[in-house]
Amino acid sequence: MTADLLEGLMAVLQLKVLAFLAVGVMLGAIFGSLPGLTATMGVAVLTPLTFWVSAEQGLAMLLGIYCGAIPAGGIPAILINVPGTPASIATTWDGYPLSQRGSAGLALGINALLSAVGQLTSIFFLAVAAFPIARFALRFGPAEYFGLALFGISLMASVSGERVVKGMLAGMLGLALVTVGLDPMTAYPRYTFGWPEFLDGISFVPVMIGLFGLAEVLVQISERHGKIEDAPKALGRIWPRIEQWKRMVPSMFTGAGIGTFVGAVPAAGGDIGSVIAWEQARRLSRDKENFGKGSIEGLAASCAGCNSAIGGAMTTMLTLGIPGDAVSAVLIGALLIHGIQPGPLLFRDHRSFVFSLVFLMAFAALLMMIIGLLGARPLARALRIPNPWLWAGIVLFGTVGSYAMNNAVVDVWVMFVAGVVGFLLRKADVPLGPLVLGLILGPMMESNLRRALILSRGDWLGMLESPILLFFLLATAASLILPFVKKKRSSSP
Amino acid sequence: MNRSDLILAALFLVFGVHLVVSASYLPAGAGRVPGPGFFPQTVGMVVLLLAAVLLTQALRGRSTAEFIIENHIAIGGAIGLTALFLLLWGTGFFALRTLVFLTLFLRFLGEQWRQSLTVSAVLTVAVVGAFQYGLRVSLE
Repeated sequence: MTADLLEGLMAVLQLKVLAFLAVGVMLGAIFGSLPGLTATMGVAVLTPLTFWVSAEQGLAMLLGIYCGAIPAGGIPAILINVPGTPASIATTWDGYPLSQRGSAGLALGINALLSAVGQLTSIFFLAVAAFPIARFALRFGPAEYFGLALFGISLMASVSGERVVKGMLAGMLGLALVTVGLDPMTAYPRYTFGWPEFLDGISFVPVMIGLFGLAEVLVQISERHGKIEDAPKALGRIWPRIEQWKRMVPSMFTGAGIGTFVGAVPAAGGDIGSVIAWEQARRLSRDKENFGKGSIEGLAASCAGCNSAIGGAMTTMLTLGIPGDAVSAVLIGALLIHGIQPGPLLFRDHRSFVFSLVFLMAFAALLMMIIGLLGARPLARALRIPNPWLWAGIVLFGTVGSYAMNNAVVDVWVMFVAGVVGFLLRKADVPLGPLVLGLILGPMMESNLRRALILSRGDWLGMLESPILLFFLLATAASLILPFVKKKRSSSP
Repeated sequence: MNRSDLILAALFLVFGVHLVVSASYLPAGAGRVPGPGFFPQTVGMVVLLLAAVLLTQALRGRSTAEFIIENHIAIGGAIGLTALFLLLWGTGFFALRTLVFLTLFLRFLGEQWRQSLTVSAVLTVAVVGAFQYGLRVSLE
């Protein structure tokens, strides 16, 4: 284990890898701090760029974007009351009132420091918990993997709020899309409509760029209203005082713990993590009344909560191959491009690579903390870039990036169709997350279900002999039924 | 009754029927071992079931949101121009096509001519520099 750890560290401590990491963190800081650009969009649009470099270098950049964008999302949340990424919604509740009171610098300082604490806590969890989880997952056979995939998709649909049916339909659409191409077991062509380009299936990355790049741009254009307000010019003191630290410590640990746990739940990302962390910290605080009015405890909980979801999401993604949030869903695509299959075998066959990822994330968290503390002022100035300029850049880079991966025009059209369909689905209030999950988990679900049926000689009930599968099926049923029960309860007097 | 959900449910019903019917033409498998048509057919049936639930909800007037698209001209322009840009892919100079596309794209979004041209030029240089010269991807 120590040898793997050292090997992983050495792979990271190379000039090129560190340079890619630094570029990634800086790009992430820009993507996060500009409302209109998100972490998912950044990772999706820039994934094609990593095609030409080694896995370590490419993932250094993408993880840098991920770990940089989430804390940076707190900057516009604090300065102009607009979350830079969905994860920083709860940061607006106390960050913006603090900024209005003339303590914008302090709020930005807390955001930078507590985000780093949150990320490092969850990365520690990843390093400690991932190996035992992966060891357990090694016991999984086809039936268990099918159950896991089914559970993942059902969970994504169940966190779609009021839109459970629409979420499930989106998940089914994702599952239907993966049936395009050669059948994984018999190599029989399906739904290729005579196009040889579709024999390998629909490329994952152009779909992601379409759904999270072009669709997002179109949604923002359609919802464009007026101008965002200007950020305050004077920031003031950035570093918190010792007594302020003392007040923040309990909220910080509450936020980091809850965020890590929520992040590890498939499909529940930093947005949910930060809201739950903020609410829990409010309940435990002696100063409840001040929450939502500029409380540094509330800000600490939300910053630590949304950032600690990163390590949790990565734990689920790396150990089980199920994304914890939208960004880790796109990261799975990036890993696959580099020939790395997330899942328990990764922890058996490529231990040092796993440690490399852990170190990359830890370095990214520290680097972003420094950028957050020293670069708050220039990042605040970046908020003045007009949105249309950003949209034009996203559309252009998304289009060329989709083409560049395989030099195939069909991929650009896939991106375009995914973008327009994604836009229409968003406007029809259909969540896109389950669609992505369907795309990722579809191949795993289909081939494992069919393998399990072959092993049980077509006997569905025979598959239920596995207690793990039974557990996943019960959990799936619970995750689908609970939202309806909750809705019924809340609507009854 | 919610019209947008009704249309959405109808579209998914059509999609579900298409999946079920088209999957029936795929080999069903030998004996009790499922073939290539098994999974799409199963997905199609679940889609049909869910679409029926959505249809019922829409008819009862239960809905999560209305389908509203604002700024039609900007949206239409953005989609139309992007489609045109893709249709012309591989014809003429990439840099010139990109410059024209971006300038018109930004104009549709309400930017001034001078700003549109400047931003378009910067973005074109950046993308050509990164992909054509940096990554050696042929964009022509």
